[in-house]
Amino acid sequence: MIRLLKILEFALSSLARRKFKNFSIIVVYSFTIAVLASVLLLTHSLKKMAMDVLVDGPDIVVQRLSGGRHDLIPADYSGIIEKIPGVGRVQPRVWGYYYDSLNHTNYTMLGIDEERQRFVMVDGKAPADDDQCMIGQGVAGAQHAETGMDLLLIDGNGIGYSCEISGVFKAASDLWTNDLVLFTKDALRRFFAMPDGLATDITVEVFNAREVPQVAQKIKRLLPDTRPITIDEILHTYESIFNWRSGLMLTIFTSSLIAFSILAWDKATGISGEEKQEIGILKAIGWDTGDVLTLKLCEGMVISATSFLVGVSMAYAHVFLLDAPLFVPVLKGWSVLFPRFHLVPYIDAYQIIVLGFLTILPYMASTVLPSWKAAITDPENAMRGV
Amino acid sequence: MAGTIQVERISKYYNRNRPDEVRALSEVDLTIAAGEALAVNGASGCGKTTLLGLVGCMSRPTSGSVLLDGRDVSRLPERFLGDIRRRTFGFIFQQLNLIKSISVLENTLLPLYPGKLSMKEMKIRAERILARFDLTARAGVKVSRLSGGEQQRVAIARALIHQPQVIIADEPTAHLDSVLAAELLDILDELNREGKTVLIATHDPFVSNHPLINRVIRMRDGRIVD
Ligand SMILES: Nc1ncnc2c1ncn2[C@@H]1O[C@H](COP(=O)(O)OP(=O)(O)O)[C@@H](O)[C@H]1O
Ligand SMILES: [Mg+2]
Repeated sequence: MIRLLKILEFALSSLARRKFKNFSIIVVYSFTIAVLASVLLLTHSLKKMAMDVLVDGPDIVVQRLSGGRHDLIPADYSGIIEKIPGVGRVQPRVWGYYYDSLNHTNYTMLGIDEERQRFVMVDGKAPADDDQCMIGQGVAGAQHAETGMDLLLIDGNGIGYSCEISGVFKAASDLWTNDLVLFTKDALRRFFAMPDGLATDITVEVFNAREVPQVAQKIKRLLPDTRPITIDEILHTYESIFNWRSGLMLTIFTSSLIAFSILAWDKATGISGEEKQEIGILKAIGWDTGDVLTLKLCEGMVISATSFLVGVSMAYAHVFLLDAPLFVPVLKGWSVLFPRFHLVPYIDAYQIIVLGFLTILPYMASTVLPSWKAAITDPENAMRGV
Repeated sequence: MAGTIQVERISKYYNRNRPDEVRALSEVDLTIAAGEALAVNGASGCGKTTLLGLVGCMSRPTSGSVLLDGRDVSRLPERFLGDIRRRTFGFIFQQLNLIKSISVLENTLLPLYPGKLSMKEMKIRAERILARFDLTARAGVKVSRLSGGEQQRVAIARALIHQPQVIIADEPTAHLDSVLAAELLDILDELNREGKTVLIATHDPFVSNHPLINRVIRMRDGRIVD
């Protein structure tokens, strides 16, 4: 124990002696880890946010298929679905996407009537009549809009339409609601030029989660032109999208980083002649191979642990405080789905541990192995001054 | 008293079974009594450094054995040899082998890191030994800033800090002028009179003729000739 502490002390003073070299290694290495950790934190946070939203959502979404494509569904199908045993609330939804060519953003537009109580207002109130709407905090921030201002839109018939913002709401997760604009159902139906009696889809709540597949089957049997999508299927789809995307990002980043790191490590950490000579001297004056290895392990641990902590902190700041500006190009594909949103800090300990192993171990190997090779040679060589 | 060394029929080959094989020592027998001061003489390349390395457990013989106080150490695994080197021998290398970028004090402490002494005890010992070699005022100075003579004294201080029984010096006067050489031999003489075994490889007649030396052996082509 005392031996270990003394060797650690010597390791620290050796590191301080090669300040410049070690500082450069820590900088390069921290950046490498920061990029890797950013990818991990980002994909995980996105996935977690999407899952949270979906878990809160309906158990089944019923769409109508026509010619193999999603089509408007008769709102009175909800009456038929309600009669299935075990089914709770059934609600026809009116919603759609809107591309605002003035501001170059996508909105998700949703019609609400009695659901309005579910939204927590930060300002103003829910839309009371047909030329009012309310927006999420994200949209308000991005468009610099506030209560009382008008939102200018072009409706489904190509006619300009101005709608007063009656309030701004807050939502549990930014991911879903940051691009959300809410209207009364009638107003939105008119805006999308949707015939009366039709809805975009119907949401179904089921009392007992285990009955969801049976309920879905019954809906399909009763209404053969519909497609009931269960929460499990939605989760599954999202999982595969996220896994595919994060997998792709990880592959790109890791392969380039590994190539880069190998070069950098080779240059920076392959032990110098001076270090080799020092190892020889230590052996010649009575250190054994184990002592030298302990020294080099201490040095490696100090460098890699420091870099790891710095890198992970940098990644945290980058992703959660600055909203991942460096990944904006990679995330472009997402922005159609999820316009600007604030990432919710979410850290998965398992991921961090894996990252720790993936970054600390190769570093240790790349520094300790050459030292070990130098340390097992007979000290006689050092004695001769070679 | 501890410190008896017996070398029995040792041979040392370098690059064994390769075209560039070298036989550096062949079947050397030698006994060094505790407290003796022995000079190993001979031309460059005759095997002096090789012999010192084997005696000092820096390398292992190809055949034959080295006994320290009757115990065969030539077949021990490396992890024991480090310990034996540290406990038994103090080396003064021809090239000094100091770490130039650290201070006199830090260099002197180096052999004690793997041992059991606390940092405080280590420093007390170092202060005592630096005082003995007139280095107290230089303790915090980087070795690269010292004169040759001072560096030599640091190397001796480092060789002695763990209180070894045997002092091994390989061509210690090779880089010293006659004044410094005389000073070094006086120090070794003093240590020998304290009871330490001294083993010096040299081809400098000044060393072999010094009153310190009890016995001189001569080597040629890896053998002791008389
Ligand atoms: N590591 C080595 N590899 C190959 N040959 C060596 C090595 N070390 C020493 N030798 C050879 O062994 C012989 C004895 O060398 P050495 O013991 O250094 O002699 P001395 O110290 O008397 O000059 C020389 O011929 C030398 O070239
Ligand atoms: Mg020699």
